[in-house]
Amino acid sequence: MLARTSLRELRHRPLRTALALTGVAVATAMLVDMLMLGGGIQRSFEELLRSRGYELRLSPRGTLPFDTEATISGYAELRDALASVPEVAGVAPVLAYSISVETTDSPDEPQTSLRALALGIDPREQGLLRLLEGELPGSGEVLLDRRTIEETPLSVGDTVDLRVAGGLDVAARSGRARVSGIAEFVFSAREDRPIALPLEDLQSFSEMGDVVSFAMVRLTDGSEPDRVRADITARIDRVEVTTLTGIVTEANERLSYFRQLALILGSVSLVVTALLVGTIMAVSISERLGTIAALRAIGIPRMRILRALTAESLALCALAGLAGLGLGVVVAGVLEDILSDFPGLPQAVDFFVMRPSTLLLAYLLLLLVGAGAGLVPAWRATGLEVASLLHAEEP
Amino acid sequence: MSPAGPARDTRGVIVVATDVTRDYRMSGSIVRALRGVSLSIPEGDFLAITGPSGSGKSTLLHLLGGVDVPTAGNVRFLDRDLGSMSVEARASLRLREVGLVFQRFHLLPMLTALENVELPLAAVGLGPGERRARAEERLVRVDLGDRLDHRPGELSGGQRQRVAIARALANDPAIVLADEPTGELDRSTSRSVLDLFRRLNDDGTTIVVATHDLELAEGARRRLEVVDGRVEA
Ligand SMILES: Nc1ncnc2c1ncn2[C@@H]1O[C@H](COP(=O)(O)OP(=O)(O)OP(=O)(O)O)[C@@H](O)[C@H]1O
Ligand SMILES: [Mg+2]
Repeated sequence: MLARTSLRELRHRPLRTALALTGVAVATAMLVDMLMLGGGIQRSFEELLRSRGYELRLSPRGTLPFDTEATISGYAELRDALASVPEVAGVAPVLAYSISVETTDSPDEPQTSLRALALGIDPREQGLLRLLEGELPGSGEVLLDRRTIEETPLSVGDTVDLRVAGGLDVAARSGRARVSGIAEFVFSAREDRPIALPLEDLQSFSEMGDVVSFAMVRLTDGSEPDRVRADITARIDRVEVTTLTGIVTEANERLSYFRQLALILGSVSLVVTALLVGTIMAVSISERLGTIAALRAIGIPRMRILRALTAESLALCALAGLAGLGLGVVVAGVLEDILSDFPGLPQAVDFFVMRPSTLLLAYLLLLLVGAGAGLVPAWRATGLEVASLLHAEEP
Repeated sequence: MSPAGPARDTRGVIVVATDVTRDYRMSGSIVRALRGVSLSIPEGDFLAITGPSGSGKSTLLHLLGGVDVPTAGNVRFLDRDLGSMSVEARASLRLREVGLVFQRFHLLPMLTALENVELPLAAVGLGPGERRARAEERLVRVDLGDRLDHRPGELSGGQRQRVAIARALANDPAIVLADEPTGELDRSTSRSVLDLFRRLNDDGTTIVVATHDLELAEGARRRLEVVDGRVEA
């Protein structure tokens, strides 16, 4: 009965209600985005790694897991050594090497050139890319990134020139390759323009010999990554072995900046919501102190009045919260676009991951904080001495 | 409080104040609003409390209805000592046994006349159907049967005060206490409120009004003058 007045009370002051709704909606949007950011990037990265199915990563000893400068020499030997470990189901080698890719001379099109990170892979055993069109590269072929295709006139079947500019210790070289297909390179940063070609091709083109930058190892079902890791480390001393869990932990440490930011900004948005709802409710309650005193005087239980006033702040938050969730999702999309240019992060990693549970959590937090913030002035007002209030409110 | 004990002696008496004093602490100094007032309101009474502004009329009314408790002395309401009851127990007693009417009506502006009268009925736990029927009956009793769905903003001052009186009557209280009920009304509207009080009193309702309005005071059965916190003989 009393609670019914709450919605009418909000409707009765349209401007104030609209301003409060907007404020709470904006704060909610920020809360939603920060919750999405806080959990999203980390989980999305982990899911990305796990989905590729390579549990171990071998890198040159004494380097960080994502360092692409150092190399492991004697890959053939390494592969054979790994093959003798019973739990190893497959090895995916990767050699990373900077080259430039140019369209071959053509009378009717201007020549384009781009700096690319060439990845030498074993097309039968790889976890770096998803083929979108065409085929995986055979000898004399390259696979281009989706964005390279979008930005250049190249398409599947074309021929490109691969070049290495000469320097102090490298001679200038060039070679030709046919574009075999288009792929999405899931671990590459958005600013990178990776290409893939067979490991042997890149090894000979780079004149680096039988080296790889790192290798990923697939294990048989049911084997324990930590045990295999110890086994490999004992047998092969020139590689550092990291488990997926280790990589995720490492990545999480690097991402903790985002999580802290999200935690702080998320808390700020809750505090802002509390202050906003608390202020609005304090103002509207103090305007109605006379009525509240009269209700107390005629014997309406305090709990009933509290319930009605809390319903008012809850209604405000429930309404603003829905708008805020929508706004938050839209803003997350915009922020995702901006943040995905953040250098060095795999393009397939999402910063803002929208999960129903995240939205629900944001909504519940909002309602909780809103109800609490409304309860404070309501509790104070209904606890005042009735006779004094009446004395102050009656002429 | 056995049914055969003192309750027999006070039968027919709604409220008894004995040597009641009320002090208010105001920024260091103490204001003595009432100084040893004794008073008894029998069932069916219609008492007007008059006196100059600040003499303690409202304070006395609040003490009689258990809105406030005395600093010294005691008030027995239907043979219960108000001073020894908790805040919520007094609120519950007021809800059922005291009908309060204010100078400024204090209706909820967002509710219709009917809903305003339903409010104390809902608070005692009555279901919607019975609530509505009772509220309607009370509004008919104050001649507002044709204004059930009007909001206070759509009613005149006199009509609003009658809605407030209907609300005060909602739970069939033992007593109606009205503080300056005609304070915001013009003469002719005040007269209609007095007529309503007389009619209700004739039907058995016990009424106490605190007022400056001489016409209202003279219309009551009994008159009591409070001056400077004391009852004048
Ligand atoms: N809650 C309170 N706190 C402090 N002082 C109070 C309070 N209630 C009443 N008083 C003081 O007690 C005295 C009596 O006040 P009360 O309101 O009972 O007078 P009244 O006869 O009703 O006056 P009026 O005719 O103006 O309504 C006044 O001096 C008033 O200022
Ligand atoms: Mg008064």
